[in-house]
Amino acid sequence: MQDPLQTALRIGASGLEAQSRRLRVVTENLANAQSTGKTPGSDPYTRKVVTFENELDEAMDANVVKVASIERHRSPYRLEHNPGHPAADQNGYVKMPNVDIMAEVADMHEANRSYEANLQVIKQAREMISMTIDMMRNG
Amino acid sequence: MLDPISAPVRSTAIGTGPDTGLALRGASPAASAETPVDFGSFLAQMAADTANTLRAGEATAIAGINGQVSTQKVVEAVMATEQTLQSAIAIRDKVVSAFLELSRMSI
Repeated sequence: MQDPLQTALRIGASGLEAQSRRLRVVTENLANAQSTGKTPGSDPYTRKVVTFENELDEAMDANVVKVASIERHRSPYRLEHNPGHPAADQNGYVKMPNVDIMAEVADMHEANRSYEANLQVIKQAREMISMTIDMMRNG
Repeated sequence: MLDPISAPVRSTAIGTGPDTGLALRGASPAASAETPVDFGSFLAQMAADTANTLRAGEATAIAGINGQVSTQKVVEAVMATEQTLQSAIAIRDKVVSAFLELSRMSI
């Protein structure tokens, strides 16, 4: 049987991995919040969203988390009147990315908090393992 | 506790691992010479496993410094290495003190 504390470490590590990929996608969305197309009427950058799923790790008999997919968000693009822009259509409207900066920042904070929570679990499991080993040393 | 930012620093510190690993492996044949074969081979096996974990940890740490592996992976490997080393040292100390106890026994 696998040591439950070691399993906790591995699951926590999978959480760290998943949350860092989420942060990566948020960064991409924020960085491209103003990225338009190049030709008239072309589509701008599309906001991406991360979906998570649980995955059974056979060796440990535990559910770890992993990023299921990184999808394009289906909300409509914002239209901005800017006739001189290279991507403006015949009416002078430019399609702007469907990125909502406030939502992205909120998502970033959530990723941060989740990351912290996973780190705390890892810290705790490690401390418990160390305490047990120390008992062999001093006891 | 390791923090991701200091992981490369820590991993270079763990880079002194081979010495400890070798010392452990060097210690085990001496121990097995005095003990029954099965317990000795168990010790040798344990020391070899420890050395392998140390080597894997170092390889991951070096890959992390080169930027090929994520920080989380490096920290995980280095922490696993540290813990293996800690428990190996604790068990070795116990075994050594047991031998000392035996050698102090009046004949």
